[in-house]
Amino acid sequence: MTAVSEPSDATTPAATTNGAATNGAAPIQVKPGRHREATLYHALAGAGAGDGRTLAQLRQAALAAYEASELPVWRRSGFWTTSLQSLDLDALSTRPSPLPDSVPDVVTRTLADRPRAGRIVQSAGSVVHVELNPELAAKGVILCSLEDAFSEHGELVAPWYSKRLTIDRNKLEAANAAFWTGGAFLHVPEGLVVEDPFEIVYAIDSPGVAQYGRTLVVGAPTSEFRVHEYDLAEDFDGQALHAGAFELYLQDGARCRLAQVQDWGQGEVFDASTRFVGVGRDAHCHWLPSLLGGHLVRQHLELAVSEPGGDMAFRGLFFTEEQEHLDVFAVDLHETGPSGGDVHWRGAATGESRASFEGLIQIDPGAQQTHTYLQIHSMMLSPKARVDAIPSVLVSSDDVSASHGGTVGELDETAIFYMQTRGLDRPAAVRVIVEGFFEPLISELEDEPLEELVRAKVAGKLAAAREDIEAYATSR
Amino acid sequence: MADLEIRDLHVRIEDREILKGVDLDISRGEIHALMGPNGSGKSTLASTLMGHPSYEITEGSITFKGEDITGAEPHERAQAGLFLAFQYPVSIPGVSVANFLRMAINAKRDEPIQVKEFRTHLQHAIELLDVDKAFTSRHLNDGFSGGEKKRAEILQMAMLQPDIAILDETDSGLDIDALRTVAEGVQRLHDEQGLGALIITHYQRILHYVKPEFVHILMDGRIVLEGGVELVERLEREGYDQIRQEVGASADAVAAGDGGV
Repeated sequence: MTAVSEPSDATTPAATTNGAATNGAAPIQVKPGRHREATLYHALAGAGAGDGRTLAQLRQAALAAYEASELPVWRRSGFWTTSLQSLDLDALSTRPSPLPDSVPDVVTRTLADRPRAGRIVQSAGSVVHVELNPELAAKGVILCSLEDAFSEHGELVAPWYSKRLTIDRNKLEAANAAFWTGGAFLHVPEGLVVEDPFEIVYAIDSPGVAQYGRTLVVGAPTSEFRVHEYDLAEDFDGQALHAGAFELYLQDGARCRLAQVQDWGQGEVFDASTRFVGVGRDAHCHWLPSLLGGHLVRQHLELAVSEPGGDMAFRGLFFTEEQEHLDVFAVDLHETGPSGGDVHWRGAATGESRASFEGLIQIDPGAQQTHTYLQIHSMMLSPKARVDAIPSVLVSSDDVSASHGGTVGELDETAIFYMQTRGLDRPAAVRVIVEGFFEPLISELEDEPLEELVRAKVAGKLAAAREDIEAYATSR
Repeated sequence: MADLEIRDLHVRIEDREILKGVDLDISRGEIHALMGPNGSGKSTLASTLMGHPSYEITEGSITFKGEDITGAEPHERAQAGLFLAFQYPVSIPGVSVANFLRMAINAKRDEPIQVKEFRTHLQHAIELLDVDKAFTSRHLNDGFSGGEKKRAEILQMAMLQPDIAILDETDSGLDIDALRTVAEGVQRLHDEQGLGALIITHYQRILHYVKPEFVHILMDGRIVLEGGVELVERLEREGYDQIRQEVGASADAVAAGDGGV
């Protein structure tokens, strides 16, 4: 493995570094001006669209933005281009006929039958299943579609809806804000501790669907809970879209473990989503998305410590295969101090897939006594796969520490031989290495059924890529 | 007929011939020591016996339990009952010692080992090697000290119960306590299970704790002297130089060569 480590403890105001690491090559400095087409990825960093406007007003404004814009292209000059222009948006429908009225097979197949606090399932544009443990309902927990939440719990929804999410940065974000249906709303009341997870499921079981998923989760002060989101699709032929908007707000002292398992299957599923997690005073969030498949996936993931004493652990893993393209922008945002952050991502790629990761640490002016670290490790398992990882640090306070590091690796033939001498064949040895590579994150899920699901998906991808991995070994 | 028969083995790595005709017979229940100066080809022999892809056999054969394994895959050799304890064991992050052992044991079996049987077996091996139980829940060789890595090698050997184990300089870099534990482990596996071993070493130290019946001295890719344990004592007194002079011209080439093979 090639280690790339650039500690940059900032001791002067407005220190800025922008380090880049790709495929074990020397860091490349992105020079503004020389690459005129370069698009810098920006944090949301600021108030969202909500701002006292009604839902109808927001939909109206979003519709205008939708009509005024083209399908988005994200370009990271010299590294990658993520274009959604091959998506035939006009051919998709939010309400396919016949309307889905039951939980799709892919959901029942994938999710373990395990203790849970509640579950909400959206198929295409409709919520098809809502359940909530009655004891929790009696204690004031609300789990329902976001549509129902607006009509029945307006006072709980309005202050938070689109509080930090924007609605007009690109056509699909605008489409979500203008057209979303169904959706999920979870409210956990003050002081309530819930052991079992709330499950929020978005499923697409046929092509031709444009799914605009919208989730709002609010953890009242000192509540503690888990949220597991699943994004699943059947293996089908044809295009589909999931353009998601997710926001979670943790009030004073609340704690949440948020996990997401995304596997859009073998269909041509596009996913362009924005997820924002706001951590309030002395609150804590552990967030771990597992991005395990999708034809073309663009995720803007932002975890922000907004009030003093907030702390977060931002984890993530990804595994791309075949022709998949993944573009992750993960932001570790500190708007105030003291605060803590710890970002740790791991990814692997097989086939001709392309995974692009940009991790940004942003420490705003006045966010003193912030300590954070970002690391990204990646592994390329086939000669045509490519993983790029760009860690960036934007620091605007002087009494902070922020650094980043990472590795880009290939399979270690010495380790494979070592395991072969213990009787494991080559595919088994490769599996041990890759599973071991992901294990530090998987075990952090601290939830046995979820860990097993992610392990099984990783193993399935390795089995599917067996010939490819074999070819890689002989090509070197 | 010996369990492991090595005949006229010639091995090359890239353009360089390292082994130039090695003959060796090892059977279950026998302890052999293979000694030689740096660069004589000891580690090459160990890696070749296990099927390392970088080493090319240009002539000769390796037969194990009557089967020609000259071209067999490393895992096939392991499953047949050969074992290599590495000079520099490789760390496998994310995989605990216990889980790895279970996978390795299951690789040799049709049915997975029962949990209870595995535990009993592991407990026995832990006691034999004087390691802490917590040791088996750590990630294999990840952050292990030199001594822990070598103990982990012998622990794997005890669990996998090979017929013949090749120990490639397992003694190097060990303090005397670790060395004694490792050596006593090998001796007990020999006494209790009839393990056959090829102990490859540069030094005589480990042979104070494991008594070889057969001693072979490798120089310049050939075995130049063979005998019993008295050969170890002689080496201790006289050193490799004396023996080199004695075996004559063929060994001169060694001095011209370099080490690290």
